[in-house]
Amino acid sequence: MLKVNDIGKKYGKFVALENIDLEVADGEFLAIMGPSGSGKSTLINILGLLDQNYTGEYLLKEKSYKDANDNYLSKIRGDQLGFVFQNFKLLTTYSVYENIEIPLIYSKQKQTNKRELVESVIKQVGLEGKEKNLPSELSGGQQQRVAIARAIVNRPNLIIADEPTGALDSKTSKEIMNIFTDLNESGTTIIMVTHDSEVADYAMRTVFIRDGRLYNNEKSVKR
Amino acid sequence: MLDKVMIALKSIGKNKNRNFLTMLGIIIGITSVICILAIGDGFTSVETKGLQDHNTKNRVTLAFTPSSDDDTTSGFTRNDLSVLEGIKGVDHVKLTSSNPEASVTVQHQTKKASANLNKIPKKLKLSEGFGSTLDADDTSNIFISKDLADKIFKDKALNKRLVINDNVFVVSGVYKIGDFNYRPDIYVSKTTFKQLFASQISQDEAKIYVQSSASKKVVGKSALNEMKKFGEDDKLGKYEVSHPDQITKSFTKTLNNITYFVAFVAGISLLIAGIGVMNVMYITVSERRKEIGIRRAFGATSGDIRNQFLIESIILCVIGGLIGIALGYGLVSIINHFLPFKAVVTAYAIIMSLSVSTAVGLIFGFIPSNKAAKSSLVGLLKEE
Ligand SMILES: Nc1ncnc2c1ncn2[C@@H]1O[C@H](COP(=O)(O)OP(=O)(O)OP(=O)(O)O)[C@@H](O)[C@H]1O
Ligand SMILES: [Mg+2]
Repeated sequence: MLKVNDIGKKYGKFVALENIDLEVADGEFLAIMGPSGSGKSTLINILGLLDQNYTGEYLLKEKSYKDANDNYLSKIRGDQLGFVFQNFKLLTTYSVYENIEIPLIYSKQKQTNKRELVESVIKQVGLEGKEKNLPSELSGGQQQRVAIARAIVNRPNLIIADEPTGALDSKTSKEIMNIFTDLNESGTTIIMVTHDSEVADYAMRTVFIRDGRLYNNEKSVKR
Repeated sequence: MLDKVMIALKSIGKNKNRNFLTMLGIIIGITSVICILAIGDGFTSVETKGLQDHNTKNRVTLAFTPSSDDDTTSGFTRNDLSVLEGIKGVDHVKLTSSNPEASVTVQHQTKKASANLNKIPKKLKLSEGFGSTLDADDTSNIFISKDLADKIFKDKALNKRLVINDNVFVVSGVYKIGDFNYRPDIYVSKTTFKQLFASQISQDEAKIYVQSSASKKVVGKSALNEMKKFGEDDKLGKYEVSHPDQITKSFTKTLNNITYFVAFVAGISLLIAGIGVMNVMYITVSERRKEIGIRRAFGATSGDIRNQFLIESIILCVIGGLIGIALGYGLVSIINHFLPFKAVVTAYAIIMSLSVSTAVGLIFGFIPSNKAAKSSLVGLLKEE
């Protein structure tokens, strides 16, 4: 799926990432762990084509997007990637349905397909009947399900999740991780940042970041 | 496109008060634009119609202005007429009156008053009495205005006798004069007017029709000189060549001044409106950094974001424009009560107004929208 060679990132003089090598296979479920401020989000933003300001080489599906223009990057993000964030990042004045629809607005789907696609992911994350609710009318776990539904509505190859359970209790976290596992088993590659080793246990493999460096980079299939 | 418009309408609806205040400038500006164009269009159509109505091409008008305001009888006489018709290049001359009403004194018992009198129009709405006009050869009945009736008669005026310049008539109808209308105090039949009062009207205009071979200017000049030498009422007033469009000219000048002023108001308020739109768009953009980040992460290009905010700014202005058009339309129908011609709101004016609103939205929304589009994505996604 992706390959990272000697990636580095500096904020001024501060080295946020250094010497990162990482390879993620198609269909893999990778967890990235590390203390706060170690550079997890920084790395995952680069992997998600949200941040183009780095040194080294990053290949997604064997292609480098280092010099790609903004429009092309947007298209790749929309078509191939799906993001899940710690604090859900839902639009508070939009309904569940409208939130999930957002990626479809910018893709070239037909209008009739759009409805079907949204309905099907709502079912997939178990939110039937909540289409018209606002995020504020949902529990944290349900909100994260909306966010996951939004991330998968375009059927991406790669899901990038930055602490998807960071704001949830352990019971709800398990429900969310079950959805992730299902997605992974149906072929979606997942890269997930987490603080929680129980959550990391759902992944096939875990890597650690400390002070911008990646450790324990060997395969350790757990399931 | 429709879904983009819906998104824009939705976010405008979320901040109704703020956005309405922003629209005010646009509303005032567009209302003024509509009024200017309506008056301008109305006036032009009257002017061109006027030219078609009475052909002034081969006509010079000589006007007599009496030196005393009370003098209502002096003007051009029969002798003057033949003098004028004798001038070289003149085809024929018509004497007319700038004010076709006769000034009379009326009396009932001991009460006396002065009044204006004219011949009856084709149709008149009476508040008391029957019928809507007088027979052409009716020499005994008259209609009088409510104001005059109140002045002269203690109670009901209907069927009472009224003496006008020593002739006795019967009041067979009373009419009211509306606030925005002008009517004389008394109406008599055509025949009565011709027999008794026509001679009282001063003929203060001489319409000189010029032969096609002659020059209007030259004829006008010599007619003026002739009148200064031979005019019978020369001592009582002043002769001058009145240009057919002199009245319109002075009116156009006032109108132009008003138009410039309103255009100035429109321009200023549209400028202020534009700055307001820019301000409110800046606020919107910084309030919605999270939304921008989310949309960008899920496939929106920076162009999509710029367009979203541009559409929003344009729609904001177009809504203001539509309200302005509606208000302008209402204002024009009120103004029409005070104008001597009819101001019209044309399709062109509406299109023009909508274009102006769109342009304001586009121009003043551009910089904020671009700012939204150009923000760094990682920074946007840190917003909560
Ligand atoms: N825009 C920035 N400017 C300067 N320094 C930054 C910026 N963004 C992040 N950093 C720094 O880079 C380091 C890594 O940040 P990052 O957000 O990747 O941490 P993290 O591992 O995701 O932490 P957490 O678990 O708290 O989310 C931190 O020390 C942070 O202070
Ligand atoms: Mg982080």
